[in-house]
Amino acid sequence: MDTSIKIDPQWAWEAYRPTAAAPWNLQRVGHLYRRAGFGANAAELEAGLKAGPDAAIAALLKGGPGVEEFDARMDELASVIARTNNGQALSSWWLSRMLYTPHPLREKITLFWHNHFATSNAKVQNARLMLLQYALLHKHALGNFAVLLREMSYDPAMLVWLDGRGSKKGNPNENYARELMELFSLGIGHYTEKDIREAARAFTGWELVGTKAVFRPEQHDAGVKRVLGKQGAFKPDDIVAICLEQPACARFVCLKLFRFLVSDTLPVGQELLEPLAERFRKSGYDFADLVKTVLSSNLFFSKQAYRSKIKSPVEFALGMVRALEGRIGTTSLAQVLEQLGQNLFHPPSVKGWDGGPAWLNGQTLLYRQNLALAFCSTEDGRFGNRLDPAVLLRRHRQTTDEQRVAFLLRLFLQDDVSDATRQRLLDYARQAAASKPPVYWTADDIADQRVRSLCHLVLSLPEYQLA
Amino acid sequence: MISSRRDFLRASAVASGALAWSHSLPGFVERTAQAAGPLGKAGSKDTLLVVVELTGGNDGLNTVVPFKDPEYARLRPTLKLPTDQLKKVNDELGLHPSLTGFAELLEAGHLAIVQGVGYPNPSQSHFRSMDIWQAGSTEPTLTEGWLGRALKHLPSGTQSFHLKQANQSSPLAFEGAPMRVPSIASLQEFQLQTAASSGTDRREQQKFIESAVQPTGATGLLDFVSRTASNTYASSRRLAEVAQNYQPKVAYPETPLAGRLRLAAQLIDAGLGGRLFYVSIDGFDTHATQAPTHANLLATLSGAITAFFKDLKARGQADRVLVMTFSEFGRRVKENGSRGTDHGSGSQMFLIGGRVKAGVVGAHPSLTNVPDGNLSFHTDFRQVYAAILDRWLGVPSREVLGREFQPVAVFKG
Repeated sequence: MDTSIKIDPQWAWEAYRPTAAAPWNLQRVGHLYRRAGFGANAAELEAGLKAGPDAAIAALLKGGPGVEEFDARMDELASVIARTNNGQALSSWWLSRMLYTPHPLREKITLFWHNHFATSNAKVQNARLMLLQYALLHKHALGNFAVLLREMSYDPAMLVWLDGRGSKKGNPNENYARELMELFSLGIGHYTEKDIREAARAFTGWELVGTKAVFRPEQHDAGVKRVLGKQGAFKPDDIVAICLEQPACARFVCLKLFRFLVSDTLPVGQELLEPLAERFRKSGYDFADLVKTVLSSNLFFSKQAYRSKIKSPVEFALGMVRALEGRIGTTSLAQVLEQLGQNLFHPPSVKGWDGGPAWLNGQTLLYRQNLALAFCSTEDGRFGNRLDPAVLLRRHRQTTDEQRVAFLLRLFLQDDVSDATRQRLLDYARQAAASKPPVYWTADDIADQRVRSLCHLVLSLPEYQLA
Repeated sequence: MISSRRDFLRASAVASGALAWSHSLPGFVERTAQAAGPLGKAGSKDTLLVVVELTGGNDGLNTVVPFKDPEYARLRPTLKLPTDQLKKVNDELGLHPSLTGFAELLEAGHLAIVQGVGYPNPSQSHFRSMDIWQAGSTEPTLTEGWLGRALKHLPSGTQSFHLKQANQSSPLAFEGAPMRVPSIASLQEFQLQTAASSGTDRREQQKFIESAVQPTGATGLLDFVSRTASNTYASSRRLAEVAQNYQPKVAYPETPLAGRLRLAAQLIDAGLGGRLFYVSIDGFDTHATQAPTHANLLATLSGAITAFFKDLKARGQADRVLVMTFSEFGRRVKENGSRGTDHGSGSQMFLIGGRVKAGVVGAHPSLTNVPDGNLSFHTDFRQVYAAILDRWLGVPSREVLGREFQPVAVFKG
């Protein structure tokens, strides 16, 4: 990897305009839908290509029709999960949202916030509280970060997760104050241990009554605190406001969003980040504006950003399901994703998932390949047979092996594979067509089986692991 | 996120230096080459740890028996084991008659018994106490395991395995690991699967998948994925061969525990880079008619671990391996009215390996000073963990356990 490439910060965040050297092509459409959502199906790819970048991004930010009806249906399911405290069902519920929502970008950014304020039901042990926190993240996903950060400090699940509940005057618990600064707003190196101890005093007084956070003034330390150079009888909101005033705050959040939307690996210096951070500050922490700026930028659509992320397990699995145009139950999927290392509502620690190259090792790679096979083959009953590639290709009237290979490569990799790989797929198809199948198979059976194998082979390509 | 990127960049820098040859060698060959260095030095790069959980609360008092103590016979009127049947450890202690294999290992210098292990204010809830042992902590809320935290300090790419019974989920001990530790029941799960119409078709598909990850001189993440995949497929193929060719060097007993340890031996033999293994055996909650059940359980335990150790020893791996047993608590010193024993505290741990300092570590807890009828402990279990972390795995125990624990001297110099 050439890390010496100098990126002009001004150019980086200016809106991308298609040029002859950087045309609006299928690869850029696929890139946009992988990063801003959970991947595209064939129709969405072609529509995005026709729409152009501005219209495609605007549509993603706005969401499709039927959001309210969809949310209402999912809320009903959520209330059952909450009532029965079914922590197991949380992940599959969210996966259903991701798969079927008319507003994938909002869901994707909610996932970003879940990883940012990483809270696990392993400790909270209360599905209702987890769903309330989800609702908070979802509400402000494309809203205002300052408001989200403030409300998070008395979110009931967070009060359990980082021990804010029951933290009292005289004996404050420092857990929340520490993570607020280290992981939620500033990053290590931008505060002192003294700041944490003082800020912890300001967060005393919260209690949980049922599922409600209640502030008890008599348990709150109302004395004077000194935090990050300021002094006063601070309350929780004051500490959040002080954090938001720090120049490090916008940079910290922008870098995290950059890693989430743009690249796992591209080195980012302060120079590159600062224009973005400055815009974020000036907007009063308008997160929709920040997301829009990043998604519209030259850097986002550049060669440096393209395929510079490892797909998360969620992206890998849902991308296949969406492209195959299937509808599946998500209970089995949730179990598989846990094996792949991403159990939603159960991040490994308050740091969230490490992500990037850490997603892949020998075990998870094999599990990924075998999951692709389970989706493509009709032999694995876990996901039903509603993802059958043979059905998909018939629906799209792809009848010769040449057409089929071309269709699959366009759908999953937007044609971006070497000629050698394409040729080897065709060679495989020719050989498979000539091989002797079991005697009781019909001609259709034989062709269907070949299509499923071709699809699995395409999904096994290393390029498909990249977002 | 940021730190993982740093790791990745470091890894690619290292890899590019070794690119010329590492591309042509699958991962297991590289690792085997590394492993050819001095083996089994405590804290060296390739030590293995196999944790065996005795679920339910093992009756330590009838496992390593203080037969000389007159209190023993008094407290255990029906459950006391006849002195002449015990496997003598020394003039005061004897192993349960079922522990034939352990007695042999002790004789051969491969078994250590750490006495009187426990922790302050012991919980007698199975769940709470098991969590405490698995987390290596007595904090009120426990979400991470000691092995999961240890994995954060082991080289990235270190693999670990929970060898599960059907439907068992991953133990708390592995929570908090940078990557989820897989729970596997069979080698089948480690095969690259295809849905093929014939044997030829299967070979063609495998050929396609494997040739797609041959190095093409690409850089960055695509190269990273290709190298990971290429190593994985090589290991998977090697595992298939191992599954076919692996012949245990000794006969394993026909028990599920022995089957799981045999699977661990296969994984170790395949050279997949696995270092931490976790198995469990349930049934130790012997509230009634304890004697026959306990005898069977200990025979199963001793038989399986002994076969496993001998198998690895015959493969020249004795000095790399350490087996550790633990249970969430011991049992009440005085037997109950149902010829069983109730939940207690303080018990012993066994350590088996080529580098352990064989014999008994620490005194047997007193049978007269028994607060609430339970044995008191003199060695915190985290002192044993500290020894394993610092001196066997080469992981800073302070980081994993949250504070300093004086390691127990259980390894040879």
